[in-house]
Amino acid sequence: MGGCVSEHDGADGTGEWVLLSYRLPREPSTPRIAIWRKLKRLGVAQLSDGLVALPADARTREQLEWIADEAMEADGAASIWLARPAALGQERELVQGMADARAAEYRAVLDEAAQVPAAGMNPLAAIRRLRAELRRIGARDFFPPPERDLAHAAVQALLDPPQTDRPASAAAPRAAQPPKEPS
Amino acid sequence: MNWATRAGVHIDRAACAWLIRRHVDAEARFSFVADPADVPADATPFDMRGVSLGHHGGDCSFETILHRYELTDPILWKLAEIVHEADLADERFDAPEAPGLDAVLRGLSMVCDSDERVLEITGPLFDGLYEYHRRARLNGRSPA
Repeated sequence: MGGCVSEHDGADGTGEWVLLSYRLPREPSTPRIAIWRKLKRLGVAQLSDGLVALPADARTREQLEWIADEAMEADGAASIWLARPAALGQERELVQGMADARAAEYRAVLDEAAQVPAAGMNPLAAIRRLRAELRRIGARDFFPPPERDLAHAAVQALLDPPQTDRPASAAAPRAAQPPKEPS
Repeated sequence: MNWATRAGVHIDRAACAWLIRRHVDAEARFSFVADPADVPADATPFDMRGVSLGHHGGDCSFETILHRYELTDPILWKLAEIVHEADLADERFDAPEAPGLDAVLRGLSMVCDSDERVLEITGPLFDGLYEYHRRARLNGRSPA
């Protein structure tokens, strides 16, 4: 199924990445900003100016392909590449950078969750907002950092006080390394 | 008429195939290709890069087809919001069904052995979603 299904080899070798190389006219700025926002939402790694990367799978490739089309419709240029980092260390750096970026987003959720009881906010409204934020972060979290589970637990704890006899969250944490099949 | 799209269908392509068969071409035959170059000469491609029935100006392919074939049924546009959010999740619309539909479609693509099979299953699913929203609109509230 899944069109181009590529695999990350895990610890022993580098995995496949999908790269979008693009160039857009400076003006008008609207399509440039729209594309920048979309890339940010996808959680891409910025390799250099106009070159971004995601772990390759059918979904990430499709997402970047549509953005490539959008760049071309905006009188820009774009191309899609499948590539492997030539050195393992280079990939680790890329993965670490993406995990760090997500960790910062989860920490922001943790900070906000910590302020809810003190600020006397309606916890349900805050929980709804923070859950939506966690879903947005989760969709671009390819290499989950430890902050992920902490943030989820902190938001849930706003609703039910922590109980020791409760089973852990049903969402199994993903391994913090290039997975076999990035999801 | 013959229609072609990328293999490994997900929400937008499954919804487009349903839309085409129900509202554009009752005799539609679909083929699934790995590469845009493999689209048969007599087929109309959809939800592929560089074709007119694809993503345009922030719209997903389902919305593009509604525009192109001038389908103004408000229930179809309601479904378009759900498909848009399931496919793009850009929060342009309030569509609480979208994340669930996305998960169901992803799961189906894992257990179905062909794109034809996915369309067989998703046909009644979109029929049901349409009927639900048709009644919701008639009653002015969520139907029982």
